[in-house]
Amino acid sequence: MIIDKKIQELQSNGHNGQNGNGSVQVKLANINGRPYPIEKGETILTFLRRHMGENPVPTLCDAPNLDPFGSCRVCSVEVAREQGGAVKTMASCHTPVGEGQHIFTDTASVKRLRKNIIELVLTDHPLDCLTCEVNGNCELQDVAAQVGIRGVRYPDGKTHLDREKDLSHPYMTSDLSKCINCYRCVRACDEVQGEFVLSMAGRGFDSKIIKGMDTSFFESDCVSCGACSQACPTSAISDIFESKALKIAEKTRTVCTYCGVGCNLEVSHSGDEIHSIQAPYDAAVNGGHTCLKGRYAFSFYDHPERLRNPLIKKNGKFVEATWDEAYDLIVSKLNAAKSKFGSDSIAGISSSRCTNEENYLMQKFIRAVIGTNNIDGCARVCHSPTALGMQRAFGTGAATNSIEDLEFTNCMMVIGANPSDGHPVTGAKLKQYAMKGTKLIVIDPRKTELAKYADYHLPLRPGTNVAVLNMMLHYILKEGLEDKNFIADRAEGFDDFRKEILNLDIAKMEEVSGLDRNLVREAAICYATSGNAMSFHGLGVTEHFQGTYTVQLIADLAIVTGNIGRRGVGVNPLRGQNNVQGSADMGVQPHQGAGYMDITKPNNQKLYEEFYRRPLPLEIGLKIPEMFEAALEGNLKAIWIIGEDVVQTDPNTQKVIKALEATDFVVVQELFMTETAKYADVVLPGASFLEKSGTFTNGERRVQRVNAILDPVGNSKPDGQIIVDVMNRMGYDQPDYTPDGMLEEISQIVPFFKGITWERLGKNGLQWPVAEDGTDTQILHEETFKRGLGKVSFFPFEETAEIKEHQKDYPFILTTNRNLEHYNCGAMTRRTNNVQISTEDLLWINPNDAESKGIKDGEMVCIESPRGKVDIKAWVTDGVKPGILSTTFHFPEIMVNNLTSDIMDSQAMCPEYKVVAVNIRKARKVGMRKIGEVTS
Amino acid sequence: MSKNISYLTGRKSPTDNLFEKISQAAVEGTPTKEDLKNLADEFLIGAANTYGTATFYDFLKPENKGKEVYICNGSACLCAGTQDDLKDNIEKHVSADKIGHMTCLGRCHENGAFNYNGENYSNLKASEIADLFSEKVFSKKDKYTVGYVGTPVLTKEWGSTDDIYAILKSTLKQSRDEVLTEIVTANVRGRGGAGFPMGFKLEGCKNEKSDRKFIVCNADEGDPGAYTDRYLLEERPHLVLMGMIIAGYVVGAEWGIVYIRGEYPESVTVIQNAVQEILNAGYLGDDILGSGFNFHFKVIKAQGAYICGEETALLSSIEGQRPEVRIRPPYPTQQGLFNLPTVVNNVETLAAIPFVMKHGGDHYRKIGTTKSSGTKLMSLDSSFKNPGVYEVEMGTPLKTVLNDLGGGFAKKIKALHIGGPLCGLVPVWMVDDLTVDFESFNQHNFLLGHASVVGIPENFPMVQYLEHLFEFTAAESCGKCFPCRLGSVRGQELLNKAQNEDYKISRELFDDLVETLEKGSLCALGGGLPLPVKNALEHFEGELSEYFKK
Repeated sequence: MIIDKKIQELQSNGHNGQNGNGSVQVKLANINGRPYPIEKGETILTFLRRHMGENPVPTLCDAPNLDPFGSCRVCSVEVAREQGGAVKTMASCHTPVGEGQHIFTDTASVKRLRKNIIELVLTDHPLDCLTCEVNGNCELQDVAAQVGIRGVRYPDGKTHLDREKDLSHPYMTSDLSKCINCYRCVRACDEVQGEFVLSMAGRGFDSKIIKGMDTSFFESDCVSCGACSQACPTSAISDIFESKALKIAEKTRTVCTYCGVGCNLEVSHSGDEIHSIQAPYDAAVNGGHTCLKGRYAFSFYDHPERLRNPLIKKNGKFVEATWDEAYDLIVSKLNAAKSKFGSDSIAGISSSRCTNEENYLMQKFIRAVIGTNNIDGCARVCHSPTALGMQRAFGTGAATNSIEDLEFTNCMMVIGANPSDGHPVTGAKLKQYAMKGTKLIVIDPRKTELAKYADYHLPLRPGTNVAVLNMMLHYILKEGLEDKNFIADRAEGFDDFRKEILNLDIAKMEEVSGLDRNLVREAAICYATSGNAMSFHGLGVTEHFQGTYTVQLIADLAIVTGNIGRRGVGVNPLRGQNNVQGSADMGVQPHQGAGYMDITKPNNQKLYEEFYRRPLPLEIGLKIPEMFEAALEGNLKAIWIIGEDVVQTDPNTQKVIKALEATDFVVVQELFMTETAKYADVVLPGASFLEKSGTFTNGERRVQRVNAILDPVGNSKPDGQIIVDVMNRMGYDQPDYTPDGMLEEISQIVPFFKGITWERLGKNGLQWPVAEDGTDTQILHEETFKRGLGKVSFFPFEETAEIKEHQKDYPFILTTNRNLEHYNCGAMTRRTNNVQISTEDLLWINPNDAESKGIKDGEMVCIESPRGKVDIKAWVTDGVKPGILSTTFHFPEIMVNNLTSDIMDSQAMCPEYKVVAVNIRKARKVGMRKIGEVTS
Repeated sequence: MSKNISYLTGRKSPTDNLFEKISQAAVEGTPTKEDLKNLADEFLIGAANTYGTATFYDFLKPENKGKEVYICNGSACLCAGTQDDLKDNIEKHVSADKIGHMTCLGRCHENGAFNYNGENYSNLKASEIADLFSEKVFSKKDKYTVGYVGTPVLTKEWGSTDDIYAILKSTLKQSRDEVLTEIVTANVRGRGGAGFPMGFKLEGCKNEKSDRKFIVCNADEGDPGAYTDRYLLEERPHLVLMGMIIAGYVVGAEWGIVYIRGEYPESVTVIQNAVQEILNAGYLGDDILGSGFNFHFKVIKAQGAYICGEETALLSSIEGQRPEVRIRPPYPTQQGLFNLPTVVNNVETLAAIPFVMKHGGDHYRKIGTTKSSGTKLMSLDSSFKNPGVYEVEMGTPLKTVLNDLGGGFAKKIKALHIGGPLCGLVPVWMVDDLTVDFESFNQHNFLLGHASVVGIPENFPMVQYLEHLFEFTAAESCGKCFPCRLGSVRGQELLNKAQNEDYKISRELFDDLVETLEKGSLCALGGGLPLPVKNALEHFEGELSEYFKK
């Protein structure tokens, strides 16, 4: 009855109607004799689920994030075209629902069919449910029970029960005797991750799932994303954590800590143990997918090397201390430095791995309690040029659009980013769209995974982004492809820009970048004429001498072609760390406070002072590189570093070490004894993301809830609570750390957090700015830019001093990056099985260079820069052009940053990690590291 | 089927074809893993995909390595009882491990069929076999009769190539809509078995907006007993090719793909030569006959998989994917080859188009019955006195073909398997009830299908024939849908056990199995097998009852 009433309502409201006057009728189809409204294009199964709930008919090959496939046939229903018409049996998962159809879900005939299909399945399936790892959580078991199977009537015949288990891989496992050939794993590998590692071999009854060319998981090209394991309805493909096992476990949703994508994770846990992690299908960000870091690299949390107690260095050795002892020491040292040398002799580095609330507290502590603006964060060494460049162009230093806009774009430009490794879920999405025909431009010196699928790959010489973008802009204007109306309405500075760009010396830029001008021209035309073009950039843009200018030129491209302010366009930095967007939003930078207000402006200062109830300085504080300079000059007396391994990851390692040694008092708040922590006077054990609550803001400005799964291990504490404890001990009254309480405080000072409350964030978070009524924002700059008009600026290419000064003696260019398996300094990922997959940093070298230097694949080589040298294993590959070398910096055994320079982005002081002049030779030390030798 | 792989392999020109490259890599009977890896890299897909594809096909799978001779195990050769002796004879010259199977070489009129060195042979005497394997120059072409009653559409003498392509010349002067109207008026229905009107497909594809479209000729005539398509490919190649060109003109497709089964090596050669001939003559290529219309052909030789006759599996095969049956919708006219609009038609359907364009749609429509227009080719196997290919107008009494053209049975026959393995088993006493058209066969619970006719001898046990049908289905099942993958094997096991062991089949179980296949299968392979099985159970109950529980 309720349903009938609902339909009447729908009909009178003109549901599905084109015009608002209710004259268009609802289209209906019948389920077991009752009419229900249908939606255009939906399958019968979707239609049934909308009206009958999640499980209207049994299914096996259907999965929430996969296309309909139609192999299992157990979702079959009977369908008649009209009342009393002839019925036909149809698979509901791939048959479109039609107006007027009569669908019968439960006739004797379909019930028999389902039962008989399952009986056939069970003729080739082990009947060992009670000892199976997924007992109680197996879809085959569920469906068998649902259809009422009692036994198998067929006599013994051929089976595949003797298939061997594959336990070769650090994470992935398979037992194909349990396989029901539903292809969900194959489809997940294809449609979700886009990796094509899995397929079927043979045909008919003997067809079987293969990894690679019928090899093991370990020998295959598997990227360990676990999509196949999550997709498998039985235990045929699983993982070492037995993620689908029905343990007496609680499931808690939280957000991954590994990158700016912000995947939602569903953590199974009981007591103080985490069993496994799956990706929730209803997550807006990752819809049932995540990568091996999110899904599998969690076991660092109770690693024996986790710091469990505060440590105080006494006579050069760390000894365990109580929190009171540590706090007393810190408070006395900070107070002493403050009174003797002034507040500006103290600095803080906050962590983008920590929550918004913790970052807010740290900057508040440094500003309001210590009384200095010497607060900075790791954004300095990654996306500071993005924030600055985009603020200059648009007024807001954050992604203009959302990742889901990929659905609406016609052209994706990826510059200086390798999301397949750095942001795997976004990388997988980009690859899916590229494979399906969305145009893809990749500007990157390396042949990245995406570059292989690109329509235009521009393998420029590292350090020449400005030259290439100028060429693109030149051709766009020369061809008259600019959006004149958009420029007239929404841009400023265009006329000057136009004059400069049309005078560009193309021949010179061609020579500088090493790219054929026609290739650049075609890519530029593709971007400008696609209708909707969306750009993505990473650290290959920012970590350069001309990083901020490059960001501004990317913004120029968007403004000049009108590709901003609507769906499917915009400038979208792929933010590195899980909360690097949030840390900047919270004021972790020396020139802007929480909410990006300029701290040098007296009225802003007044606002903050009133809110913090303390006087605040008006002078811009020190950026991270300036902190080290100050330390070396003897002006920095104390530094507090949270969750950043500056020794391993900041450039010019030896200089960083000297700076820390020159600082009187160093506090490091960490999970592990990192290279940086070794130089601390006090080491405080922080809590991992699994042990605290708060919020992270992902790269698309989405503020999401992080929920504590466990209590902090040992005597460790949430980082926010540690800061609160010290604030109180230094005389500032700050309530204990709670995520909802902190958010309430933040929403009162950060304008774009105004409408955010812990409750409102719900499952999938909100994208800032969030209005007071809770409305969030998917697209920025729709009507007008935050700064008013969009600023178009010209910047000529300038060679970095690194090349100008050192090219002669160091003719190779080393560019650094990261890989899929490890995260930054690797403190966490190296303490998981990821280290069995990626065992060490490797040096990419072109086969021509390898040959001319007599270097063989897998040999140890020595690379030397004006700063230092390191030995590393060579990997001969055409992934880099001759003259270019590339490596990661995840392993302290290598310490690649011994090589990197002091050169920084001229505007934002982001170090130039991406261009290092080096030379290379065979290492004198002969020997190769064995797999597994490099652990923790 | 992977949409992504369709897009990726479709990035290249049809001349740069992944499936063909995998086939060509099988120099020693199966491609090396290194070749498969390189091809995967070239096409930006996984090595698992190229390996998965190669392992699917009879002539590419690793077990095919080193095979030299393939003996036909199709229904006609089985019923003729020629293959055991043939195998014994061949084993005198070639070791058993170098002998494989092919299912139907289209030599159903002679039997004793096998393939050696890429050539087909049938009905050889022991001495001729000895000559063949002693590397003497040996050549023997098969012989079959061709005839017709009524109006010949396909088998008539068509004159020179130029005579035939005069039709193309006049057709290209008409608008695309005018040509479509003729084909719709003619009511040309698909001869592959389903009888779907060709005009609908052309119109659907024509209305799709796309820069790239394809015409695909399904020349994967895998039905054991059928060799009518083989006749057309080898004896009337230009009717087929011109039918494709005209279809391309109507829908706006510039590429025609002729997908010919590997078991017909002669057909592949003839078609390739015919394509070259018309390319040289200016009936193909860019701006054909000054019309502004471009058309090109790609001829692809299949590699041994019956399922490729199913149109969506065929499309996946051309793409270099595993030829697993796709779900519909989307239909090929919307998203076919490389996810682009595609018309897939059978050889005989396309071959009718030149006649339609020459004589007009009305003329064609008047041939045959109201619902089944035109003519139908039938192929008779060696159980008839005059085995051969015969063309009759739709609606012609079946007995006319069997007796007047075929000359009647050459031996005692109890049933005819008409239309292919998935069509009906007609007991001889029902022959007089049937006329050659879709409707008559449907009414009597049979199917016209390919209209191939295989005679089941009086002394051939029906239970053995049913086991053969299950075994064939099991061997050819793509393995995608559960009912066919599992049910075909279990059915074969039941029938085998009942013949060889003290075991009687539960009729309830068997009926459940047949119903599961019929209602549950994704395509007509698993879904079609129940028809002949049910025909046999109905009409030969007496003979079969001893294998079932009372």
